[in-house]
Parts: sequence; structure tokens; C-alpha cells
Amino acid sequence: MADLVSTARRAESIACAAEPFHPLLGPTSARDLLAWVAAELGDASALDRWFTHGGARTKALAPDVILHVVSGNTPHAALQSLIGGLLLGSRNLVKLPGSGLGEVDAFLSRLPAELRAMVEVSVELPDGWLSSANAVVVYGSEQTVAALRARVVPGKTFLGHGHKSSLGVIWHDPLFESCPGAARDASLFDQQGCLSPQVFYVREEYPGSARQYAEKLASAMDQFSGTHPRGPLAIEEKAAIANLRAAYRFRAAGDLRVALWEGGAHLDWTVIYEEDAWFTASPLNRVVFVKPLPQDLARAMGPAVDYVGAVGLWPCTEELADRFAALGPSRFCPVGNMQDPPWTWHNGGVPRLASLVKWVDFEPSSSLTV
Amino acid sequence: MVQAWIRQPESRSFDEILPRLHDFHYLHNAPYRAFCQSLGVDSLVARWRDIPCVPQSAFKHADLRSFPATETVQTFRTSGTTGEGFGQHHFRTLEVYETAVREGWRHAGLPSGPFLVIAPHPEEAPHSSLSHMLATLAAKEEFIAPRGVIDLNRLRDLSAPVCLLGTALGFLHVVEGLRSERIVLPAGSTAMETGGYKGSGRYIERADLYTMIGEKLGIAPGNIINEYGMTELSSQFYAKGPRGLHESPPWVRAVVVDPVTLQDVAEGETGILLIYDGANVGSVVGIRTQDLAVKRGNAFELLGRDPSALPRGCSRAADEWLTS
Repeated sequence: MADLVSTARRAESIACAAEPFHPLLGPTSARDLLAWVAAELGDASALDRWFTHGGARTKALAPDVILHVVSGNTPHAALQSLIGGLLLGSRNLVKLPGSGLGEVDAFLSRLPAELRAMVEVSVELPDGWLSSANAVVVYGSEQTVAALRARVVPGKTFLGHGHKSSLGVIWHDPLFESCPGAARDASLFDQQGCLSPQVFYVREEYPGSARQYAEKLASAMDQFSGTHPRGPLAIEEKAAIANLRAAYRFRAAGDLRVALWEGGAHLDWTVIYEEDAWFTASPLNRVVFVKPLPQDLARAMGPAVDYVGAVGLWPCTEELADRFAALGPSRFCPVGNMQDPPWTWHNGGVPRLASLVKWVDFEPSSSLTV
Repeated sequence: MVQAWIRQPESRSFDEILPRLHDFHYLHNAPYRAFCQSLGVDSLVARWRDIPCVPQSAFKHADLRSFPATETVQTFRTSGTTGEGFGQHHFRTLEVYETAVREGWRHAGLPSGPFLVIAPHPEEAPHSSLSHMLATLAAKEEFIAPRGVIDLNRLRDLSAPVCLLGTALGFLHVVEGLRSERIVLPAGSTAMETGGYKGSGRYIERADLYTMIGEKLGIAPGNIINEYGMTELSSQFYAKGPRGLHESPPWVRAVVVDPVTLQDVAEGETGILLIYDGANVGSVVGIRTQDLAVKRGNAFELLGRDPSALPRGCSRAADEWLTS
């Protein structure tokens, strides 16, 4: 029987179970997971033993029970949240979306029995789960997050991850080298994730370069689609994309400031160029806008500025990150890597492990007080 | 011509009138002409189904006016989401519009009054097509919610059957305003509700709203009618009871189609609604709505735009802005 008392042992078992999920999760070795613990808690064994903290010693205490409420179509977010809970050594209650999440089931089946026993899943929210959890992590719409937050007693740890919109900024790319990565970012997970870019803002180094970028991006979207086809669409999703295409087709017929590239007979992908810089939310499923970068991007974001998830940059420099700080994302990263957040990413601007733990300090007796 | 046709729809066929309207719009409406040309559609079409349908949102971006702007007598506006602006539907005359409202009401077999209206009068909402439609049916003194304050005494004092007209939100306010009180309206009273709850942060299923109206006002849910209309149209559709199907008046065709191919869906299947409104004389005839519906014979079951029906992850999608 595996000894799962130590963080290192749990990390090894989790890493082993997570192996088939690297396309969803990125690198997930035991080393990666322990580096995450060390980055957030100050020491990879902070949950297992006392370590120096100022003039004293301290130890992290994981919540006994964590309730994870996860949304549909984002299995990676569900797995990340669950893996965090397992790494901490907590018991995990996972409320899955109504349709379930096959990836979570598959991951659980690969866990050793001792770790598997630390997880319960349900597509309903059973009575008592909210009250028995010491910490609640929710992924969902604002309404879902608000509704659950209202049901959690004050003082209990609550981490709400509402829906976010992400975007890319192409600052300098004369050879359109970022297009394949931009297409990957906008296509993976069919744009359902909070890190999925919906608009690429392109700095116009010469007139027409943003439009040209849109054309190149369309070609890259097509290529990506050839090797990674889009998932099935519900009728509502089909209608949303087809209606948007129809609307822009109408506009493009009489307005040169608008252009449309439509991929495939089956709504495979859509690129829309629009001179108006106002942030336009995508109906998702590989519909992406390209717009010239305005002077004041935060202003052009309108109400969406309160919901920015990640900003992809090309090139990705600290100087550019500082320039676009007003967008308030929790992540700047290179275009092409938007869907590969490191485990240490502060999702929603907060440390994901450190926000869940509490601390107990130990001050050894000194010779004076003996 | 159109006005006479609306009064006597059997006098002319749909294929006689609508292609002529399309031809007129093609000649006098530049954005519409550009749209038709981009689709390879000429000014002359043989059948009404050959007329291209303009996306509903085009009313936000283009001046879809088939007459000189200086001759505009009325402009109705849609409510717009932030940053997108609002749609505008211009009229050179309201005679056809008002005839369509009255004839559509009559054709659906709805009561001729008296009415009480729980919605703003056009004097308070001059750009609301709904207010104008209601004022076409009801007299000014029948509007009982001036400045948004509903005069519940007008309901309490009734001695004869009445037809209540209002928005779904207006009815909800009536029901909530009554608190524990129940007013049993005179037997034979009916109600017509329309519109959604946009911007209010509220949503109640149609059947639940009808049950509430039934309990509070004594109107049987089967005597409550839903109106489906939009600023971009001149005609309306009515459905009786909580699960009633919407039917078109004779000068209108509503077709449920696959959103991609625009081919008719099979009976019982879901698609988007295309509407060909023969009363839209000053704008365009064919409108591609953003609403989903199920084909039920010659009628349709309206599903509307239900953002909650969209499966999605944590990416904030277009529809979500509408509900915030």
C-alpha cells in the first residue's frame, strides 16, 4: 500500500495518473507539482513538517474537505482544481456538470486506491456538501459563483472563478510569425476556456497590416483545423455562429472596414476583421476577431475590462506587460502559449494552493524562558 | 396596394406581392442592394422564398430605409447592449403598420376591448414599437402605468371583462405589487403579454408567469396570449396559453430553417426563424432573426434566445453580456 502521507508521495501518484492528460494539463511531473507547492507555500514539504518562518517555524494545514464545483467543457480546469486538492492532501468533493466529465472519471480510475478514496464525485450537489466542506472552489458563470457564495457561511474559504474573456496583442510581428500560435490559442478547447482569446489587437505598423494579419490568421486557423477538428456543436451554438457570420457578411457587403473569412462548410472556424476597436465578445467555438490596436485599449474593452483573463503578447516583454497593466489580467504570456498556463499561475489573481491552506506557527522555547 | 392586401389577404398571392416589395427595396435601399448583390440576388425574384433575409442586427449598422430620410415620420428603436448601439426601423407612413397591428389582432381572434395597458404610452416612449402597437389597439386613458407606476385600483374597480395588455415584466410587477391580495377580474377577462425581461435580471418561464397571473388575477392560463414581435417587423405573432404555438397572419411567413444551410427543417426540429413580413413596406421584407424555434406544421414553437441553453466553460461568451 502506498504511503500517501507525504506531499512528495502524493505528487508522484498524481503525476503518474495525470500522464495521459498532458495535452490538457501541460507538463505534470512530480517535480512540477512539488515546485508548485514550493512556489506557493515557501517549501515543497510545508504541509509535512515545520520549516523556518522568520524567527519561528511554521507548517501549512490543508482544509479537511474541499468542494470543487466545476463547469462543463473545461475538463482541464476541473482536473487542475482536483489535483490541487489532492496535492494538499484534502478530501475532495467534486460537483460535475450535468453531463459529467469523462476526463475526470478517467483520471480518477488511474489513481491509487488511497488517493481515489479521497475523492467523491456527483453531477448533483448533494445536501450537506456545502456545509461539510472547509473550502469551496467554484468555476462557473457569475450567477453560479454568486449563488454558491451566498450559501457559504462567512469565514469559510471561498474561491470563485467566474467566466473571463482573454485577448491577444500583436505589437510587432512583421512576418506574421505569431499566427500559427494565435490560431492554436483560439482553437484549443474550442475557445471554451477562460484563457481562450476572443480578439487579437494588432498594432498597425503600416495601414492595412491588421487586416493582413487577419488573413494570415485565417489561413493558420484553417491549417490547425485540418489537424485538430472542432468538436460537435449544439443547435444554439450553430445558430450563434451562423447568425454572427450572416451579420458580418451583411456589413462586409457595403463596408470596407469589415471583412470575414469563413472556414469550411461546417462552421469550422471564423475570422472577422473589424476596424472598430470596441471589444466584441465571440460566440466561441473558434470565432475570433482581429482589430487594429487602439491608443487606449482598456477603454476599448468597455465593460469587458472587468473580466479579462489572460493577455497574450507578441513579443512578450515585461515592458509590454506594464504598458497593458490597465487591462487587469491575471496572466501575460506569449501568443501561442495562452492555453499552457504553468501550475504556478495565479488564476484569478490569487495563489491557488496558498489561498486554501491555513498556517500554524511554532516558536521554540528559548533558554531565557526555560 | 399592401394595405388593401392586408385587409383582404385572399385578394393576392404572396408571390405576387413580396417580390414586388423586394424589387422596390432593391431600387431604393442602397445597403439592401449591396447585400443582395453580394449574394448574387437581382432585383427580380420569382418567388418570395428567393428574397434574401437581412440579419436582424443589420438594423443596428445600416440605414435600411427604402425612401428619402427627409420623409421619415417615425423611427422605432431597439434596446441596445453597451457599445453596440441600437437598431432603428424607419417608417414613411404608419398606416400600413397600424393596419397590420389591427388586422393581425383581429385575425388571431383576440378580444376587441376594452383594454388596460401595463406599459408606457408612446408619449413616454416615443421610439418604442411596442408602445405604438399597444396604442394602436388601446385608447390613451386605458394605459394604467404612467411613469412606471401601475394604478392597481384600475384593476380593482372593474365590473366588466377586460383584456390586459403588457410586457411580461409589467405583469410580474402587477403580481408582486398585489403582495397577498388577489383580484378576481370579471369572468371572460383575458391578457396578452409580450417581450422578455431584458435588462431586469429576471426571468420566469412562460407557464410559471401564466400560473401566477391566474392565481392573482383570476385569468385562466388558457386565456393568456403571448405576442412575439420585434422592432424590425411590422407584424406580430400570437400564441394562446402557456404552451401555445405562434401563428403568422396571412401576409407574413415564418420559416424554421437550419442556421447554416437555410433549408427548411423537418417537422418537430429546431432551427432559426426567418420571417417574411409583407407589411414591412419601408424597410426590407425578409429578416433573419436570432431566435430559435421548432417547426410545428404551419406554426412554430418559439424557443427564443436562451443563453442558459448554451453549454460552455469558463469563457465569457457573447450571450452572457446580454444577461449582465
